[in-house]
Amino acid sequence: MTRRKSLGIATALSLAVVLALVLGAAGCGDKGGESPAEPEKPKLSGTLNLSGSTTVLPLAQEAADMFMDENPDVTVNVQGGGSSVGISNVAEGVVDIGNASRGLKDEEKSLGLVDHEIALDVIVVIAHKDVEVDDLTADQVFGIFSGKITNWKEVGGKDAPITVVVRDEASGTREMFDEKALKKEKPKEGAIECNSNGVMRQTVSSTPNSIGYISLGYLDGSVKALKYGGVQGSKETAVNKTYPLSRYLHMFTKGEATGLAKAFIDFVLSDRFQDEVVAKEYIPMTEI
Amino acid sequence: MQGIDREWIVRKTLFVMAMMAVLGVLLIVFFVAREAMPAFTQAGPANLFSSAWDPAGGRYGMLIFITGTLTTTVGGLLLGAPLAIGSALFLTQMAPRRVRSFFTRVVELLAGVPSIVLGWLGFTVMVPWIREATGSPGTGILAASIILAIMVLPTITAISKDALEAVPRSYLDASLAMGATRWQTVRRVLIPSAKPGLLVAVILGMGRAIGETMAVALVIGPATAYPTSLTSPTHTLTTKILMEMGESTGVQRSALFAMGLVLLLLSMALIVLVRAVTRERREAA
Amino acid sequence: MSGLEVKTVEEEGLRVEVAAGLCESRDERLERVIRQHIERHKRRAAAADRAFTAATWAVAAVALGILAFIVITIFARGLGTALNPGFLFGKPQAIKEGGGIWPMVVSSFYLAALTVAMVVPVGVGAAVYMSEFAREGRVTRLVRLGADVLSSVPSVVFGIFGMVLFVVYLGLGYSLLAGALTLTLLNLPTVMRTSEEALRAVPVSYREASLALGASRWETVKRVVLPSAAPGITTGAVLAVGRIVGESAAVIYTVGIFVRKIPVSPLQPAAPMAAHIWHTYTEGALVSDWMRIANGEAAFLLLLVLALNLGARLLTRALAKKTGTVKGNE
Repeated sequence: MTRRKSLGIATALSLAVVLALVLGAAGCGDKGGESPAEPEKPKLSGTLNLSGSTTVLPLAQEAADMFMDENPDVTVNVQGGGSSVGISNVAEGVVDIGNASRGLKDEEKSLGLVDHEIALDVIVVIAHKDVEVDDLTADQVFGIFSGKITNWKEVGGKDAPITVVVRDEASGTREMFDEKALKKEKPKEGAIECNSNGVMRQTVSSTPNSIGYISLGYLDGSVKALKYGGVQGSKETAVNKTYPLSRYLHMFTKGEATGLAKAFIDFVLSDRFQDEVVAKEYIPMTEI
Repeated sequence: MQGIDREWIVRKTLFVMAMMAVLGVLLIVFFVAREAMPAFTQAGPANLFSSAWDPAGGRYGMLIFITGTLTTTVGGLLLGAPLAIGSALFLTQMAPRRVRSFFTRVVELLAGVPSIVLGWLGFTVMVPWIREATGSPGTGILAASIILAIMVLPTITAISKDALEAVPRSYLDASLAMGATRWQTVRRVLIPSAKPGLLVAVILGMGRAIGETMAVALVIGPATAYPTSLTSPTHTLTTKILMEMGESTGVQRSALFAMGLVLLLLSMALIVLVRAVTRERREAA
Repeated sequence: MSGLEVKTVEEEGLRVEVAAGLCESRDERLERVIRQHIERHKRRAAAADRAFTAATWAVAAVALGILAFIVITIFARGLGTALNPGFLFGKPQAIKEGGGIWPMVVSSFYLAALTVAMVVPVGVGAAVYMSEFAREGRVTRLVRLGADVLSSVPSVVFGIFGMVLFVVYLGLGYSLLAGALTLTLLNLPTVMRTSEEALRAVPVSYREASLALGASRWETVKRVVLPSAAPGITTGAVLAVGRIVGESAAVIYTVGIFVRKIPVSPLQPAAPMAAHIWHTYTEGALVSDWMRIANGEAAFLLLLVLALNLGARLLTRALAKKTGTVKGNE
């Protein structure tokens, strides 16, 4: 009788236990980090928690991995949530570092947060491949995205209505674009919103006569990159300040970074991480 | 004595477990309402229930998103409910025994398809189809309605099936014995008798559609604008909450919780409606 | 003298008595007209009936077609990737291409295990209370109302609620535990319902026999009712695993969307597959092969959920046969 009883609930429970064991074992198997820590460094240990922007998340994850390989006694947990979550979390002391793809808003400036810029992100205006226009002036971009210019022929293209694609309001990219290219005006009502660079690229590449903007790191052959005021958005033009559409990615700490948080941010800003990882998709701070 | 005590403890423990559902509801209402409070005190209901969503300009209107939720829900039900009730009729009236159990599995499996998977299918396959057929971006009300129709199909089918099965066999036999065809019996006897149950099925399907998030999020557009056509992108309450929660602070974040509260109230209203319909049926019987 | 003969024409519920004999020709004509009328009526009814039959079969075919389309398309696009060990057991990549999803697979199972470990005891306990202890009344009505309302709460609302209560207020952070607590509430109504159905399907005579032998109510439940209801309860638990693994909206703001290491502690953030697909659709598209990753992950997730659903049924049947008890939940 007792054995029979265990069938229902205990099957599920033992399933849980077995799973936990299997996964725990698998977890151990994964830990074999190999890189030697430099001997003269003081040995770091403890746990570091990060949360915030999903844009910074891939970079922070990569950094966390490499950092943990160098410092086997350190655990770095990186969580997403969004820029605002990261900023409020670090202000409340829930995490040690808050990641953000935007600067502090006015109401956040009194929180006592210290800004660490970790990379520069260049935003490029893109269009569907069949669009004949190559270059748009700042005024033309403003006109198109604010809805004052609605046909490609007004900017030297063929006679076709322009489909405007923008990023969602939550996005740091959108915030930067609205501020710098749209002079803080709102984009055209009814513009398609994409909630990521990937979706933006997908949408523009598959919607004829469309225009949008993405991070340089996401640019590929599926869309056409347009010049902005005669300047091609690139690492060089952003570094020499001739191309204005760029924004920093940030890590915030409550007060000056100390201890483990400082070590981690130093690592993120180190030549090695900046050149090996950041440079792949963004402009490393070492080049600015 | 010890035996009695143990029985008493067990009883109380089980009682507490039973009350967890009630406690859960209270906690959810409390915490969502608490986070929504600043939106009501600082922005005010007139602002919240307006058409303008512009957090930078201090406008937190959610009417666009309520409209999006209602249009996609109605669209999903228009497409899904006939299909679902038809499936339930097939199951209860037409299908041979073997087909019936096979088809029941089909409906169950359909219910199990994760909404993110359905959304992914919508994004990668359906949206491009609509895009090519209409020359629009492809996302919007139509895409969301089709996805929602698939999501509500298993729910409505299962509950309709129960409702149809609850009609006494003798009613149907009497009708058939009088020489009525199967369709006549279904139309004049079965459906009228099962009507309250079918209504409940559609209402619960509606609740499912209103609350659906991920599947809609990948095909809705999105855009913060009223839909002007079937293929114009828009937002629903759920998708707006999902996409902006992480990137908003202050009153904007609170306004998103206010949308959550509206969703809660909508789904509770549907439950009340279901209960009213069921009670009516019970009293009529 | 045969007198007046009365002929009866009876068809399809219509009954017409026809006076015959006096004027044969008129009588025949009348009969013919009536028969025609009836025939037409019958034909129309039959046509409508055939249309109905065709329509229901067509509807069923559409429903089957939808499932087939979903499964075939998702598998065609991603199963090849999903079943490649380098992908399934591979380490996720944030910047480079060629990433795998193993930590996400682990996260999904870990989350499901934690949730089931909480929701099944509570759900079954609640069901036992409702079916074995409570008298129908205000309390049971309240509990049923609570369960109904809870089951109608949209999953994204569960997500933001879990974020406020478990992640922030209780300070659990984005973690498996915060997610499991949220999902426990989300799944409680269904587990309660399937368990209660399973318990109620146990014949009253079993209980009466046990009680007559002097067992207390709880002993009866423990020794007789629960074992008999075990198949139904287990089915409910396995179905819950399927729902947990497929859930994303309630998980994104409570557990996390992307990790590269396998989560070990329940207090660590994780990234269940469903949430990671969302991440891949949004910011995860930084890697150039994001489509391949999401396709593969969606295919594996669908495969898993289908297997769990089918497995639940098979398990029920097997358990019911083995224990020789009533089927609780069919």
